Amino acid sequence: MYKFTAIVVLLIFNLATPGCLTESIDDGEPVKPEQYEYTDDGELVIVTYDVYGLTDEMLERFENQSGYEVSLLKLDDSGSVLDHLLQHKGLQVADLAIGLDNTYLQTALDNNVFWEHNALLNNISDSALQPYDGPLAVPFDQGYICLNYDSEVVDGENYSVPTSLWELTSDEWKGKVAIPSPETSSPGRAFMTATTDYFAHDEDNQSEWTDWWSAMSSNEVIITTGWSEAYETRYTGGYGEWTDGHVGDAHIVVSYCHSPGVESWYNGNWTKSAALDISRSSFHQVEYVAAIEGGNLDSASAFIEYLLTPEINSMMPIENSMYSALEGFDLPEENGYRFNSVVPDEPANVSSATIAKNMETWLEMWNNAMVDA
Amino acid sequence: MLEMKFKFSNSCAVLAYTLLVILPLWLALDRLIWVAGPNPIDWLSSLERNYIAQGVVQFTFIQALLSTLATLAIGLPIAWQLGRYKWPLQSLTKAILTMPFVMPSIVAAMGFLHIVGRAGLNIRIDESTWFLTLIIAHAWFNMALVIRFCEPVISTLDPRLEEQMRLLPAGSNKIRRFRNLWAPLLAPSIAAAACMTFVFSFTSFALVRWITLGENTLESVMAGIGSSAGIKGYMVSRNEIVLGSSMIQFTILLLSLVLMSWLQQKRQSLLPQVSEDIVKKSNPRGWYVIGPGLIFALSPLIAVFGASFRIRNTDSSGTNYTWETSGWEYAFTSSSSMTSAWDALYNSLGYAALTLIIAVPLGWILAQTILDLEEFNPKMARALDVLTMLPFAISSVMIGLGVMLGMIKIDAEFFYSFWPTPALAHVMITTPFVVRIMLPALRSIDPSYDECGRTLGIPKWKRFIQIQLPMLRGSILVAVIFTLAMSLGEFGASWVVTRNSDWTTLPVMIDSLKSIPYNNSLTAPAACAVSSVLMGITLLLFTWAEKFRPARDGGMF
Repeated sequence: MYKFTAIVVLLIFNLATPGCLTESIDDGEPVKPEQYEYTDDGELVIVTYDVYGLTDEMLERFENQSGYEVSLLKLDDSGSVLDHLLQHKGLQVADLAIGLDNTYLQTALDNNVFWEHNALLNNISDSALQPYDGPLAVPFDQGYICLNYDSEVVDGENYSVPTSLWELTSDEWKGKVAIPSPETSSPGRAFMTATTDYFAHDEDNQSEWTDWWSAMSSNEVIITTGWSEAYETRYTGGYGEWTDGHVGDAHIVVSYCHSPGVESWYNGNWTKSAALDISRSSFHQVEYVAAIEGGNLDSASAFIEYLLTPEINSMMPIENSMYSALEGFDLPEENGYRFNSVVPDEPANVSSATIAKNMETWLEMWNNAMVDA
Repeated sequence: MLEMKFKFSNSCAVLAYTLLVILPLWLALDRLIWVAGPNPIDWLSSLERNYIAQGVVQFTFIQALLSTLATLAIGLPIAWQLGRYKWPLQSLTKAILTMPFVMPSIVAAMGFLHIVGRAGLNIRIDESTWFLTLIIAHAWFNMALVIRFCEPVISTLDPRLEEQMRLLPAGSNKIRRFRNLWAPLLAPSIAAAACMTFVFSFTSFALVRWITLGENTLESVMAGIGSSAGIKGYMVSRNEIVLGSSMIQFTILLLSLVLMSWLQQKRQSLLPQVSEDIVKKSNPRGWYVIGPGLIFALSPLIAVFGASFRIRNTDSSGTNYTWETSGWEYAFTSSSSMTSAWDALYNSLGYAALTLIIAVPLGWILAQTILDLEEFNPKMARALDVLTMLPFAISSVMIGLGVMLGMIKIDAEFFYSFWPTPALAHVMITTPFVVRIMLPALRSIDPSYDECGRTLGIPKWKRFIQIQLPMLRGSILVAVIFTLAMSLGEFGASWVVTRNSDWTTLPVMIDSLKSIPYNNSLTAPAACAVSSVLMGITLLLFTWAEKFRPARDGGMF
């Protein structure tokens, strides 16, 4: 019997001790650059998600030029990158984070997970610097999130091209609109952010942005986990219709204003997808690269500098399907890339500080709106 | 002296098991509660306040229930035919029909997606078929449980018993014989199979993730939001959802397992048994059941293999398909954005080997401990029995979260550079299986053999090698192969743990390849190519297990 008493004691011992391991996260002041402590181990660990721009060729070139050895830690999406950084606060395993956008950046900044880089940079466009212009993160690409529609279906006869978000709550669009969830997807989050601004400025001052989402929820809006499920699996207007597992029940989808341009680029100047420019319903998204606290600041800075050279950054539209962050590099004109891309007249105007301050509340409100409908 | 040593090893096994299983889980729980607050009512209600989690409890229950019914509907006729009648290539037939259970769920997901996809039945386009696809996929996966549980009971019952029944009023016709002989005889086995099927369907992740888009089980919800769990003051509601989901899972699974443990004891047959050869007759009409069963068991695998060579070419003139090996080349070529299938293969094999080395001895000794305890403290034996089933009650995603949060907390840098880390999750998952396999085997050894040996003055270690080991050989092999197969195919926990690292395993790689957006026409064939590799290894292991499986009368696996 003594053995089992021992087992029970051990069990209780096990259950009791881990509590001591829990410690609070220190939210103190950010460390000053003079106090940064790190060693240059000749390596660069990048935490990122599927950023297509990080091609083998491009990484190899950096390795050859700089002598650093690069390894990638690939996560699912922009949100997972932020999660990773917060999870490992003070215990970071990577040196450089690539792919946080301006809906996530401020939360990372508030939590002091970045260090000031020492890369020499110039010629970054004003628009890319507009959401954040500081030493802790550098924009490397940008684009606008907006609604796309299948112009073969939405041809003015069967369906009319919507001119306001409210129209999407009509019977006509029941179950025909796909939106990535703001909970799990950065384009989804950007679009939700845009709707807060859209409904704060729409003509009738009665309705809240949450009312629209409730109405959309009742109208069987398709909420997907990520962008690819919305665009590839659900949307009828994109390349997804050629892939296995395509469902094709949505004629409108949240994607980028230049997605039709990308379609056209790959299809030899042909696309049936078009971007919808409704005032304040689009969102200017900027993606950032940043040196992680406690990491190798030298290799991180070297990569930031490399990523922002005109040679590499001008390739963003082709390699990464996004606009360059540098001044003077637009989308290429070949194959109708630029022609089929829309630059919105009036994107939503929400500051990064507002986003960071309200994001959790917004997500809660969004959930309530969707559930209550 | 040896007696003492053995007891010491028992305690060590229990201690090791407790440390390996309880510690990581406690760390995770502790951290989640630290963020979410200690109120279980909040945890549960958070499920209904969240758009993604809303309705998930109902969905999880309903699909698990329907999957269980479908599994019985498909599995029972097959088990009956297999048990009652003679079949050409009997062991091969049985092997094919029970093989789906050891197939990794992600391979099953890929297989079913291709069966219902464009090149197959082409019903994927209709969203209303997704739920049914899921149920059928679960039935495919679990029908082996029904066969394994019920077939031995049917195939070894002394036919004289049924003959005697015919003479009695209670057994004068088929219906009466069914009611008075087969139903009471099979009920515990059917219930046990149903119970296990329910558990596996309830915690289904890979199949739900890929087949029913937009619907979630508690398991897939936890997996989806788990990456933001455990961060103080950030996304608090997600911690509540994880806690709420795991609480419901834990309760349901624990109940099932207690029931299972009880049924296992009921299943110990007291009726006269004879060899299969005496029981079985031939039955040509049975092919109407066995034939479709074989096709059903094989088709997802054939679909996966076929799809790995089918390359889509899209240009302005439309889409056509060609048969090429470029999907395989793509999968086995390393790039910075995707590790090569070679690396994933090495990782997978390494983790499987490591899991084997730890889980099999551990499970074996634990099973022996349970048996030793049964003699003088049955209550304690039952408690340990349930404790060893605990990881069944804690879903693999939760185990993954436990390992992840635990290692971040203890020493993130060390664990990220410590290659064996993911194997810990596999050990946690496979050890209970080893216990389940070894327990009935150990129980079936007649103690009189050992007593004879003792009378003859054979020392304990020699008795172990010369008596116990040969008698257990079959079960040990089955345990070894099951451990390898489960570790190789493990998806949920690996998905959570290896996401933050670069040790991709084969199942995780399949998932990543399938998730790559953009119009790269090679990713889908490459996902199928990696699936085929995983499938091949699993098949090899399984055939090996079948070959060495002794003609045993009964047993769970």
